[in-house]
Amino acid sequence: MSEEHPAVEYRQPGRLRRTFDKNWYAWAMVVPTVVVLAALIIYPLFQGVFQSFTNLDEGNKQETICTKTLGGGEECKPNPKKSEFVGLQNYKEVLTGERGHFWLWFTNTIVWTVSCVVFHFSIGLGLAVMLNRRFKGRSLYRVLLIVPWAVPAFVSAFAWKFLFNPRFGLINSVLNDLGMDGVQWFNHRWTAMFAAVVTNIWLGVPFMMVALLGGLQAIPQDLYEAAEMDGATAWQRFRNVTLPGLRPVSATVILLGTIWTFNMFPIIFFVTGGEPAGQTEILVTGAFRAAFEGRRQYALAATYGVLILSMLMVFASVYRRALRRQGEVF
Amino acid sequence: MATVVVPEQAPTGADRGVGRGRGRGREDRSLLASVGLHATLLACVFIALFPVVWVLLSSFKPQYAIQSTKIQLFVDPSFDNYRHVLMDTSFPRWFLNSVIVAAFTMVIGISMSATAGYAMSRFNFPGRRGLMWVFLVTQMFPVAILIVPIYTIMSKLHLIDTLPSLVIAYCTVAVPFCAWMMRGYFDTIPKELDEAAALDGLGPFGTFWRVVLPLARPGLAVTAFYTFLTAWGEVAYAIAFISSDKKLTMGAGLQQFVPQFNPQWDLLTPGAVIIMIPAAIVFFFAQKHLVAGLTAGGTKG
Amino acid sequence: MSTTVTFDSATRIYPGSTVPAVDSLDLEIDEGEFLVLVGPSGCGKSTSLRMLAGLEDVSSGRILIGDRDVTHLRPKERDIAMVFQNYALYPHMSVAENMGFALKIAGVHKSEIETRVREAAKILDLEPYLERKPKALSGGQRQRVAMGRAIVRQPQVFLMDEPLSNLDAKLRVSTRTQIASLQRRLGITTVYVTHDQVEAMTMGDRVAVLKDGLLQQVGTPLDLYDKPANMFVAGFIGSPSMNIGTFTVSGGHAHIGSAEVALPRVTTDALSGGEITLGFRPETLEAVAEGTAGAIEVEALVAEELGSDAFLYASLLGSDSERLSSEHIVARVAPRAVPQKGEKVWLRIAEGQLHAFDPTTGAVLPTG
Repeated sequence: MSEEHPAVEYRQPGRLRRTFDKNWYAWAMVVPTVVVLAALIIYPLFQGVFQSFTNLDEGNKQETICTKTLGGGEECKPNPKKSEFVGLQNYKEVLTGERGHFWLWFTNTIVWTVSCVVFHFSIGLGLAVMLNRRFKGRSLYRVLLIVPWAVPAFVSAFAWKFLFNPRFGLINSVLNDLGMDGVQWFNHRWTAMFAAVVTNIWLGVPFMMVALLGGLQAIPQDLYEAAEMDGATAWQRFRNVTLPGLRPVSATVILLGTIWTFNMFPIIFFVTGGEPAGQTEILVTGAFRAAFEGRRQYALAATYGVLILSMLMVFASVYRRALRRQGEVF
Repeated sequence: MATVVVPEQAPTGADRGVGRGRGRGREDRSLLASVGLHATLLACVFIALFPVVWVLLSSFKPQYAIQSTKIQLFVDPSFDNYRHVLMDTSFPRWFLNSVIVAAFTMVIGISMSATAGYAMSRFNFPGRRGLMWVFLVTQMFPVAILIVPIYTIMSKLHLIDTLPSLVIAYCTVAVPFCAWMMRGYFDTIPKELDEAAALDGLGPFGTFWRVVLPLARPGLAVTAFYTFLTAWGEVAYAIAFISSDKKLTMGAGLQQFVPQFNPQWDLLTPGAVIIMIPAAIVFFFAQKHLVAGLTAGGTKG
Repeated sequence: MSTTVTFDSATRIYPGSTVPAVDSLDLEIDEGEFLVLVGPSGCGKSTSLRMLAGLEDVSSGRILIGDRDVTHLRPKERDIAMVFQNYALYPHMSVAENMGFALKIAGVHKSEIETRVREAAKILDLEPYLERKPKALSGGQRQRVAMGRAIVRQPQVFLMDEPLSNLDAKLRVSTRTQIASLQRRLGITTVYVTHDQVEAMTMGDRVAVLKDGLLQQVGTPLDLYDKPANMFVAGFIGSPSMNIGTFTVSGGHAHIGSAEVALPRVTTDALSGGEITLGFRPETLEAVAEGTAGAIEVEALVAEELGSDAFLYASLLGSDSERLSSEHIVARVAPRAVPQKGEKVWLRIAEGQLHAFDPTTGAVLPTG
């Protein structure tokens, strides 16, 4: 026994090492991701929060760099107009509509996000339910229906802009052939928005469909059989087995879909380009134009970024809380 | 379209027996319901494919016919537009750049998200929960707003106007979702396999490489698909970071064909078609795994 | 090659919990012994095994394999092999690759791996399947591959975590004997976890019963059956289980229903209160004529005829009938002559077959 003792003592400091042993490879595995994300997203994010309280723009930014290098070159004199802390000024100006059209863009964003997500989900669900049945050729249908996902967003934007082209677009040609007048799609706020929404629905349905199809396949078949034994009709089975069974998947994809659509840049930017006259800008595109077209107004961009981020965070936590109340935690 | 549906009926009817064996599709599907199902799906397939097909068809038309109000599938079909794009513009160069950027994004993105996803799935290290949240938050901050700060960082690293800047930027866009999805997929691989591997003498990295990764193919396929598409179709970063014509990617280069108010459709359409081909190839290899791969990620939050 | 295994106050407390999953387990396993850890789910038997395997941290105490302290060693440094409940075969490897994987990692020469895999496959009747993937095997074959993977390693200790629970009832019985005889042949120290007391009784040289992370009793199967250390072991071991009830005591007799059962002097002396917990196994009850001294009056409810045996499930008649811990009294009766439902039967506990326990602590009381 006495020979064992030193061994025990030797192992005692090993305890700390073991905690490290247990965690070092976990950290090694996440470190590349964490470093890149921290450098390129988290750092700019905090920087942005700070900048949103200043009046930093292209004109007064030079000075901030200069003061950082501290006494570098002689030509680097203190800029009398250097950026300074302005408190909530940016937020006030943005929210009162003094700069940009926050509330117009906000309304557009809500309309855009809600309609896109609602149609993504319902069409995706409908297709998933159909494809979840067994019939000949369903895997071919599945492949073909996912195709829009594989098309780069800006290509689909162009393709649809091409189709919606008021002069020679196929959609107006068809309308003409049917004896109707072509629509000047991009001359009116809601028709232009319609074109953009259609494009985005086309683009986004496959993701929802695939995710929901997987969710459907994960629902145990005997639940359906039990419901059938209980005399449930097809609709009742859908209501009481399919929808609850899809809850975990739909909770996730709706949250992600909302976030993604809210920040979906290329479709609005390329399809409507804000036409007519900025009437169809959503927050991201509007903010991008307001802040970066012409003079670059970093503080303004940051203010919008922070506003968008906080809205989505509020949404995400409300959403999670609502789900949790229903007993669904993810 | 309806005529195409009819011959499909017989196999569908016969298929019901199979469906019954699997306990699926047990309800007797009437002929009418079957026609309805196929008609709906065909209509959806039509909508899904049409814009792509129309761009493809248009790419073979001469310029005057592209901008014609008449609906014609073929007008003097020729490869002139393609020749023009490939010979007279920097398009081939852009294509090569895109391939390089997308390939590196894919490889780096997969390795980052697979390792991070595995760590989050298997190890209870301090900071794990916070990391999941960070991943979600990164999805919320608008990319369009991030362009400028990232530009500043890239220029500090002297990476502006280089392809690596794009690879890094695209990884930040794609990795959070992919890592989160991979974690879901790894969660479906029984932990006992890791334990068996530990008893068989493998360390954590060996287990990951020799036991877990070979089993995570569907998850990896989705990640590959997603990272590739992120890099392949991105425009905003490419325009912002790349200034020399020779280093542009296709998405960014194509914007040169879209001067304000007068898009050159005869160059855009063949360009779009060429862009879609590699995407289609990657899609073809990944599609089999998409459902399985994405589900695991979706259900496990 | 074979060796001893020692648990020395081994304790496991899961993070975020104050109750230990395994509470200072002391256990010594001999060379070549087949030790079964048994208990209801959540009793800590699997955790104990996983601590020995190195898959679970040891919060305090030590674990030794032979003389070697392995408490903080990594699994691969412990020279052990494990059979998992769901086998944990690598789906992307063939049977041969699965079995030889550990040796390959250890850098054993290819030809050596092949001979050892062949040998194991021969013992387990797996030779025709060596090139197949686990997916293409039946449940029983997979189970054998998992065994084979352990055998090929030629480890110092085998660990088995409910290896039979995924097999159907019939296969389970035959595999049970196969594993037991294989272990005797190889002579490798084995720790086997199960929740099934029949497995424990039939396979183990010794059996350790756990409950709530605490070791209740270790002993040979017959020790546990005949001399349970407490009420829990008494009720857990044996099928059908022992009849247990708490009854009032007066004048050296326990009142079981209408019957007055005489208690040995040593038992009543050890008793503190006016109650006692008594246990008697179904096969120690004999049907006797009405009015026999100490006979318990019961009413027949159901009879289970097994052919070779018959068990009568009956309700206890009399004032104290609710004092039984289960609903029925079970008695083994002569097959093919079982009492009809509703019939009254008198049962007497055979001489010296009464188990007595303290009603509050559950600890066994002397019966002479």
